[in-house]
Amino acid sequence: MKTTHIIGIMGGVLLIMGATVAQAYTVGEVQHGGTIQGHVTFSGTPPTPLRFAVEKNPEICGQERSLMKVETHNGGLTGAVVVLEGVQTGKPFPEQAFTGHLPGEGEFRYQGGKTLGLQVKTKGCNFGPFTGVIAADEPVQFGNQDPIKHTLHTFSARDTKGTILRTIHNQDIHPQDTVDRTFDSGKLRGNPVVRLTCNRHDFMQNWLYVVDHPYFAISDTEGRFTITQIPPGTYTLLAWHPILGEQRQEVQVMENGELQPKFQFETK
Amino acid sequence: MIWSIRYLFFGLIVGSFGMAWSLPPAEGALLDGLMGGVEESLGKRAEEKGEQLIIGNFYQAERPDSHAPIGVMGDHTHNKGELMFAYRYMRMFMDGNRDGTNNVSASNVLSSYVVTPLQMTTQMHMFSWMYGLNDTVTLTAMLPYVMKSMDHRNRAGVKFTTNASGFGDFKVGALWRLYAFETPSIGAHRFHLNSGLSLPTGGINPTDKTPLGNNSLLPYPMRLGSGTVDLLPGLTYTGVLHNVSWGLQALGTIRLGENQQGYGEGHRYQLNTWGAYRWSEWISTSTRFNWQQWGNIKNRDGQLQTTVGPMNLPLVQTADPDLQAGKRLDILGGVNILFPEWMGLENHLNVEAGLPIYQYLDGPQLKQSWSFWAGWQIVM
Repeated sequence: MKTTHIIGIMGGVLLIMGATVAQAYTVGEVQHGGTIQGHVTFSGTPPTPLRFAVEKNPEICGQERSLMKVETHNGGLTGAVVVLEGVQTGKPFPEQAFTGHLPGEGEFRYQGGKTLGLQVKTKGCNFGPFTGVIAADEPVQFGNQDPIKHTLHTFSARDTKGTILRTIHNQDIHPQDTVDRTFDSGKLRGNPVVRLTCNRHDFMQNWLYVVDHPYFAISDTEGRFTITQIPPGTYTLLAWHPILGEQRQEVQVMENGELQPKFQFETK
Repeated sequence: MIWSIRYLFFGLIVGSFGMAWSLPPAEGALLDGLMGGVEESLGKRAEEKGEQLIIGNFYQAERPDSHAPIGVMGDHTHNKGELMFAYRYMRMFMDGNRDGTNNVSASNVLSSYVVTPLQMTTQMHMFSWMYGLNDTVTLTAMLPYVMKSMDHRNRAGVKFTTNASGFGDFKVGALWRLYAFETPSIGAHRFHLNSGLSLPTGGINPTDKTPLGNNSLLPYPMRLGSGTVDLLPGLTYTGVLHNVSWGLQALGTIRLGENQQGYGEGHRYQLNTWGAYRWSEWISTSTRFNWQQWGNIKNRDGQLQTTVGPMNLPLVQTADPDLQAGKRLDILGGVNILFPEWMGLENHLNVEAGLPIYQYLDGPQLKQSWSFWAGWQIVM
């Protein structure tokens, strides 16, 4: 093989490696960062919550469960995932936790730091809130605090509506057990959405948006969200809801600036 | 026709063992990502109906018909870390002789042979394990304990019975998830490859008392194993829609070479197709058709006595390597029961019984009358 060929191949490899490295998020100091305090609203009539007669383990899960896919309060949309796209350097991942609806007591806990560190606590036949975020290529800890088995079934979705779902994991989680499963980017194939279900309890359904940096927020019960310490620049701000779809808008974050963008979703 | 079936099985062998040995340990169905056109089409159809298309879901819901009728093996795969233990009991009864598709009386057979078999009972206790190694491969192992009994009559009218029992051939294998898709309206469809090896742990030189002596070597049908390493390729498809489930499975047993006694059993091919209906959460019934064809023995066991007396009269047809082949279509009915979960264990009790509706034997050979299966499966 000619020397020029070898140099060419090595150069190609280095280019690919460089591109890969360039895409990874790095934690660094943010000076004069801006803030986004926005509002996600919903107009129209939200779909009626689904009701499920519990067939398996009613002694733990209850006789009947419901699933509210679109939750609103005073016009605010709860659980919309808002992501500032394309940030490559900035603040560390925050530590935060979100709990599911009673009677379920599931929780998505984000450990924070250099990685997202998602921990899913399954309790009361509930993985956690209806929506959340997840990161590729890092272990997600699934714990089962119920005295019954859950069969975790995870999917990646080719579009944010989740019309085509591809199984990633099928995994029994025994009582009081914990398993770590990684969502490889190779298996996600660039798909932005992950769905969690339990094969044994069909009312256990959750949707997670794939993020690779900490500049995201999940709208609260009033539909409000806050993203802080944003490096100044121009970005695309995405608001996503698994049932209502996604919306994007351009935002320009100034030094120490504050923006108040609004997203409005409607009945589909 | 036979050659095309052979080529099909040859392809399955190459495919399944090629998968087993050449591919890296993937996580997920092997054809996942290679069916773009199919997925586009199915996805479009699902979207038009307001449904979701799910790719790659091999999870078997806990329902009585989530497992095939008990006589079918390697019909489903397991999730990573899942273990299944199964015990199966099989009893098969053969009664009377047949040549081609015609029944032949004992006296007719005795005009050509000194001894004829009259009946045969085969019983097997099968212990099997399945383990989900990862999201692609389910490992399998099966060890049978075999008991055979054959009743005979000779020209002098003397009846005698020979028995043989012991462990049969130990089978190990791997099931490879190929592809799965489902929507609410078309149901779930799953495909996997079966691959395996049969190891020659079963005895091939059983002896018993016969009119010829106290330690006579028993003929081929009484052997407990093949004596050879055999390849076990196959392909399985299963489907489920609402309360109905079905499946199609092609399996082969390809004998490699000859055993220590100097012969090789004929290859065996079988095709299973079944349908089941779930009547409630805990019970389903099934109907299965099982087509089998198997070849004659290659070469012969040199130690096996085939003639008797100064006239070298043929002793018994079961000792003739060229009178072993045949083909048969069985119909079987079954019941599957799923017990309530106990200590996190999934328990299935299944029974199945059937009889041949077509039987062509390169005979005269004993013909099958009926078979019965019962099994207990525990999923952990």
